[in-house]
Amino acid sequence: MLDQLKFLLEHLKPNPKKFDEIYAELHQGYHPRKDPWGLNLKKHRTCFELIWPLYQYYFRVKFHHPEHIENKPYLIIANHSGQIAIDALLVMAAFLFEKHPPRVVRAMIDRFLPKLPFVGELVSEIGSVLGERQNCLHLLDHKETVLVFPEGVTGIAKPSNKFYTLQKFTTGFFRMAAQKEVEVLPLAIVGAEEFYPHVAHFPKIAKALGLPAFPVTPTFPWLGPLGILPLPSPVDIYVGKPYAFPKTLKSDAPDKDIQKHVTKLKKQIQKMIDEGLKQKRNYFGEVERVHRKRR
Amino acid sequence: MFTENDVKQVLVIGIAGGLAQLLSKKLNTRFPNAKITGVDSRTTPKPKDIQNLSCLTLKYSRTEFEKLFRKNKFDVVFHLGRLSHAQPILPMNLAQKIEFTLVETQKLFDICKTFQVKKIIFLSSFHVYGANADNPVFLTEDAPLRASIDFGNLREVVEIDFTATNWMWKYQNEIQMNVFRPCNIIGHHIKNAVTTYLTTKYSPYPIDYNPSFQFIHEDDMANILVRAILEVPTGVYNLAPDEFISIRRALQICKNGGPPVPLFLATAFASLLKKWYSALPEYFLEYLKYPCLIDNQLIKTHLKGPLFFHTTEETLKAL
Repeated sequence: MLDQLKFLLEHLKPNPKKFDEIYAELHQGYHPRKDPWGLNLKKHRTCFELIWPLYQYYFRVKFHHPEHIENKPYLIIANHSGQIAIDALLVMAAFLFEKHPPRVVRAMIDRFLPKLPFVGELVSEIGSVLGERQNCLHLLDHKETVLVFPEGVTGIAKPSNKFYTLQKFTTGFFRMAAQKEVEVLPLAIVGAEEFYPHVAHFPKIAKALGLPAFPVTPTFPWLGPLGILPLPSPVDIYVGKPYAFPKTLKSDAPDKDIQKHVTKLKKQIQKMIDEGLKQKRNYFGEVERVHRKRR
Repeated sequence: MFTENDVKQVLVIGIAGGLAQLLSKKLNTRFPNAKITGVDSRTTPKPKDIQNLSCLTLKYSRTEFEKLFRKNKFDVVFHLGRLSHAQPILPMNLAQKIEFTLVETQKLFDICKTFQVKKIIFLSSFHVYGANADNPVFLTEDAPLRASIDFGNLREVVEIDFTATNWMWKYQNEIQMNVFRPCNIIGHHIKNAVTTYLTTKYSPYPIDYNPSFQFIHEDDMANILVRAILEVPTGVYNLAPDEFISIRRALQICKNGGPPVPLFLATAFASLLKKWYSALPEYFLEYLKYPCLIDNQLIKTHLKGPLFFHTTEETLKAL
């Protein structure tokens, strides 16, 4: 029994050599005190060392088609799901662990997060940045890879009957990519909706509490903080082909011109989600035999 | 733009302040033939090492200023006189403060125009932008001034900035004017809230927030003000070095981190904290929580060459 436990702990422990290599490369690109948003590589490492066993053994993340990613900055867009932004953390981890050279993906976060004591500091230290247009443009100027969820809160905070249905995409991300001439990299995340499989939303309570959403699940808020624990649903991250927008398109083009491209990207992600759902693994890691019908 | 020979008489308002004295010293070196007059409502002994400086104690009123301007033909006026929140010298409530600062400043600008002053340099502050969780990095000069939304006692700082900028654009064809919004100015001569915070032994050490701060050395600040006379055209400018540092690191460098305090609790008990630690204005807690980093690109387009000769770490170590 003890031997088995020792074996398990040994496996859960991240490989220090791997982390040394990753962070040696990252340290070349990031001066410890040169990030005005508060990225701290030391804390970043500590945090992702803790995330690694979850990434590897709890969510059993599979990163599909990393060959689509070249060694250049991107504006990544993805479907948002799972009630809390675990999907963002998993994307950040995938770009750190699975793709060489590793990179710190700068996730754009909602306005309420930086206000929270301790949490605001932690999210900044791991590289997240307030979802403000000026911040995003600055990051792209600095050749950083930025992660945006164009659905925003409406994407992450969906009731069960809207799982895997993309919500309305904002167009700001595309204008910023066009302005800085950065390619858009679409991702589809499959498996995160099942972290909390049955969810109802109460917008009035959320408004009263000053929160962007207030999800109620069979375990939350009834079990308190324990109820936040997500179920171990395996996650597949599909990397799409980078979207090269026409060079003639200007960032201040009329809405209808921009919307055309945003709709194309949305359709591309929805298609990737639908394909991914055919291969979706269940909680035990097996591919589900009955294909889920998108609701 | 006017030339070096046009700078014959300079008025520095708020000469009792450390920055004003440093500025006078640098003006004296840069324009050795210019006569410098320093005025303040506080009694100020004349610093011995500045030859061409004369110091006057003056009530900030139209009559007094008009008398002064009739006697002298000022070419440049530096307005550095503001009411300190860290060390209040006059027992005033907010309404009185606003009345005093706004009305007197407006009158002073009008007098400058009447007596054909060539240039006014007005010192505002980065505080006008407000420390907000949703502030982008970095704030440009056209960012909204939101400081007084949560803190009424910053209304005077915002309104005086509005008054100065409005007046500047209204008379831009008649008189040159610069409004500067510098980041935290620190140094031996400076006695503001942030210097007090960094140099006090029992300053609360925030454990739940750690925003980045920008610090400008008093020397660099004074140098920029002197260069602005001839090199910076009319407009509003942020002043900050390229460097920034987290507030915890700044406290560690100054070796003055006091008791670890969760700021979300401190904010709730701000009024009690104020009684215990009077040098810390209530609004200052907000600047310890959220970033207020300013963009420095605009000033760099006009002031070529190196601007900041002191690194942030050096500056903090010397405090």
